[in-house]
Amino acid sequence: MMIHYKPTDIAGKLASGFLRNPLTIVLGIFLLSIGYLALNIMPREENPQMVVSGSTVIVALPGASAAEIEKAIVKPLERKLKEVKGVENISSMAMDNVGVVNAAFFIGEEKENSNLKIYDKIMQNSNMFPKGAMNPIIKPLDIDVDIPVISVAFYSKDANMSKTELYERVKNIQHHINGLSNVAVTELKGGNRHQFNVEVDLNKLSGYNISMGQIVQGVQSLSYSVPAVKNRTKENEIVMLGVKNALESADDIGNIIIAQYMGSPIYLKQVAKVSASYDIQNFKSATISKKNENGVFSELQNQVTLTVSKLQGTNAVVIADAVKSDLETYKEYLNNNNIGYVITRNDGERANEAVNELVFHLLLSIVIIAILLIIVLGWRESLIVTFTVPAILAITLFVAYLTGQTINRITLFAFLLSLGLLVDAAIIVIENIHRHYHSRESANKSVDDIMVEATDEIGPPTNIATLAIIMTMVPMAFVGQMMGQFMKPIPANVPVALVASLFVAYIFTPYLAARMLKKPEFHSEEKH
Amino acid sequence: MFKKFQDTVFEGIQNPKKRNFILIATFIAFVLSVLMIAPSKMVLAKMLPGKNNDTFTIYATLAEGSSIEQTNRVSECVAKYLKNEKEITDFEIFLGMGAPLDFAGLIKGSHFKNSENVSEIVVNLTKKHHRDEPSYFMVQRIRPEIQNNCTKLYENTTITFVEPPAGPPVLAAIVAEVYGQDSDGIRTLSNRVKDVFEKTDGLVDVEVMQDEIYDTFEVEVDSTKVSLSGVNIKQLNDVLYLAFEGMQIAVKNSSMINDQIPIYLSLSKESKKFSSKDINDIKAKLSSLKLMNQMGMMTPLTELVTIVPKKSNPMIMSKNLHKMTNVMAETDMVSQVYPLMEARNTILETFSDKYDIEKIGLFNLRLVDKTSKDVYELIWDGEMEVTLDTFVELGAAFIAALVLIFLLMVIYYKSYTLSGIILLGSFLSIIGVIVGHYIMDIFTADTFFLTATSLIGFIALIGISSRNSLLLIDFTASLMRDSKMGKAEAIAYASATRAKPIFLTAAAIILASTLLAGDAVFGGLGVALIFGTIAAVVASLIIVPILLYKSDLNKHFNLDEE
Repeated sequence: MMIHYKPTDIAGKLASGFLRNPLTIVLGIFLLSIGYLALNIMPREENPQMVVSGSTVIVALPGASAAEIEKAIVKPLERKLKEVKGVENISSMAMDNVGVVNAAFFIGEEKENSNLKIYDKIMQNSNMFPKGAMNPIIKPLDIDVDIPVISVAFYSKDANMSKTELYERVKNIQHHINGLSNVAVTELKGGNRHQFNVEVDLNKLSGYNISMGQIVQGVQSLSYSVPAVKNRTKENEIVMLGVKNALESADDIGNIIIAQYMGSPIYLKQVAKVSASYDIQNFKSATISKKNENGVFSELQNQVTLTVSKLQGTNAVVIADAVKSDLETYKEYLNNNNIGYVITRNDGERANEAVNELVFHLLLSIVIIAILLIIVLGWRESLIVTFTVPAILAITLFVAYLTGQTINRITLFAFLLSLGLLVDAAIIVIENIHRHYHSRESANKSVDDIMVEATDEIGPPTNIATLAIIMTMVPMAFVGQMMGQFMKPIPANVPVALVASLFVAYIFTPYLAARMLKKPEFHSEEKH
Repeated sequence: MFKKFQDTVFEGIQNPKKRNFILIATFIAFVLSVLMIAPSKMVLAKMLPGKNNDTFTIYATLAEGSSIEQTNRVSECVAKYLKNEKEITDFEIFLGMGAPLDFAGLIKGSHFKNSENVSEIVVNLTKKHHRDEPSYFMVQRIRPEIQNNCTKLYENTTITFVEPPAGPPVLAAIVAEVYGQDSDGIRTLSNRVKDVFEKTDGLVDVEVMQDEIYDTFEVEVDSTKVSLSGVNIKQLNDVLYLAFEGMQIAVKNSSMINDQIPIYLSLSKESKKFSSKDINDIKAKLSSLKLMNQMGMMTPLTELVTIVPKKSNPMIMSKNLHKMTNVMAETDMVSQVYPLMEARNTILETFSDKYDIEKIGLFNLRLVDKTSKDVYELIWDGEMEVTLDTFVELGAAFIAALVLIFLLMVIYYKSYTLSGIILLGSFLSIIGVIVGHYIMDIFTADTFFLTATSLIGFIALIGISSRNSLLLIDFTASLMRDSKMGKAEAIAYASATRAKPIFLTAAAIILASTLLAGDAVFGGLGVALIFGTIAAVVASLIIVPILLYKSDLNKHFNLDEE
């Protein structure tokens, strides 16, 4: 079949080029499959990634008052950090003993670069800190690593379990979970560590006339570890000679002689209670209360929370699932040790739910629009338009994947927003085809000619109109601040969807229409 | 149906009375809708509305210098009330530290918390799909009960409720930064601002970011006595620290345990407690501590020092090299703009007793102490500042979009008049956006705000409605050019023929947006699109034909030359 109509616009040219091309169907299937692929491999998260950079510099000067810290540490440090390009705000706190200065970069400043700049500035000027100041601690802000995606609270079901045992057991699990792929940082909150406590009775101390310094010396002189000594025999065989640590247990520590009193030795255990116990000086603790099946809250129990954060650009859903299934394998170990756990945060699940809900909304919208089209245009036309939607979304998703975006709430909202816009081009094309098909003037034209002509006719205004919508999105990409960053997926994806909608409308709508629409027999009146 | 519409348009645009009536009515509607935002407050603006979450966090902060036991008591008080809630599945108390970090905590500095006077409580709720009450209503409901009962346990206790933000996190909804030279002056002023916030309707969780000043004691060392007794000051410091704080004096490696085991030395809990906060009790305790010199002679610590009571050194905060203090408040389900204006008015009215007040910038204030002539500045920050910036930038983006479209149309049509008509038609969709928000506000339980996403929807609308007008004008032009139709006839025929795809695409947008409208964050966008599209359809099918008829189309379509 020949096409006699000479298309003038890109719309008609695309339509005539693909109308009888056997590869068109292959292209369609290809587009759908790359879209499906992108949907499945793109990392999912609840909120879009924001490029927020900043560093906190902490400098301690023991014994200095807040006012002294302000003058000696904070002010010089602030001035130096002010020199760094890209810093928006510098806030600082001067307290007794320590000064904290935080430099926040403009939103969008690249993380690695910003961290380097701060580090560089501090190192170049390390001589500005006063004598006695400790080395500055530079803590860069890293949203991905700092904010855990999953947190698990482990608690003991056995009231008699020692405070350190829970911590030790969870620490074993932590090490294993840290080894899962794409896990960045794992941390424990709460719990108590092992510690030998030497609790001196002040009355006995003064009774024996001993100073605290003597106890320190006594303990330190015996808690010294050295590597084994290597020596040779006459036959040049190597003999290792190890020195055993003098302190193995709490009893060993209690038996340290700390002073002589009236000629007899005074053991540490005489003035102090020595115990192998937990870190009593640690004031931090974590507790949990959870509701049982009967809807009654348990008493507050000691717990240790394990937090897991992910590497940048990785899929929170996958990591959360991996952690979950890893915990399943520990079930027996935990049960045997009377430890229960509650997952107290699961951003992966949250992200997956949000994404799935929106994907469902997206599908629902497509169905609703399809029904509307069936009512107004007829089911064949409706089917054609409905096919173009997944094709357009597939292209947009794939482009989003190539540009390193993630699937999050805002990307999906961008899709929902563009959904109303991207069926337009197809509707306009199919409506014009429909009108030409059913008009008496084209009764003698071939199907292909009608297709190309109808598409070509509405080409220029549709192109310009779509360009107009794209134009409205462009300035949005330049909105700064947090909000601009947060909304970035909208100006990034809507224009892509719109351009894709044009191509899909020009290529596939005539292609499908030529095969699916029945040309009406023209004796009857025009219906519309 | 479309034939009828064609006739109506055909008659309508040729009747000057009807024509002018419609134009004037549109103009009035436009002015009225704009008035709905600004002076009448019928439609309220906010950056982003609240979001229904499955979790929230409660921060409890006691006065500086409070003990962990006191913090625990407050936290357990909060826990008692949480246990009454049936939608809570579990909650975790983190004493003396921040909870696992989240977005809100990152900005609020939760990861730096490391003192005995703070605690955070993470509350997990049942899944939001199975829960009738949104989290923000729940927080609003339990907040007064918990705050009234638990903050009074100890003076200066604050309990704040932190919900995961719907959009980018901010320090607080309203932040007043009080700048000045004199720390005491800043303290006085920020406490007064705090009082104003507490009395302002709609503001909750009011906090001042400053340490309370409390009583401490200082050990003054008599250097002559120290050198005479053959000890040094480091020894003295160490002994004090060892005795009361304790210190890890050695470590023991172990293959059984995951960390090195420290050996920790301190006075026993019982023997180190002071009998009371009285200076004599402290002296009595210190006299039992002795220092040994190199000759083995013992000197009681109290021989070498005098103990004097003093006030604590509060933290000194500064921002961008200027000394300042933050006064923060959250809003209770209302937009932050209006409480802020109210608080600002109260400050303007009541602070004039001590300060000369001068307005600077948009909302900021400069206060000069009448007696000391010290200058203070009160700068607003927080969500308010971000909202303002965002609205200004989105407004600029909107204007830029208008300009771009206008240029595009001028290039396409080579006529300023036609481009102007298209732009005007698009601009009218603002009526729909504002009225839509007003209608939604009537039908929803909580306030439906005009948000940043509404503005984004509005920007997208200009494109959509200019597309409608464009297709209409294009078709009119081709009818006049190719079919040699008269102006009125061509406009009417084009309107009627184009009405179907315009309705169809509008229906598609409206249907796709109904699902958006239910979302907390993007509800504004959905509503803007739904009602804006309706207005845009009316504009492009009624107003644009009238305007087209009033202009000299032959000239603009370049038909005269042919």
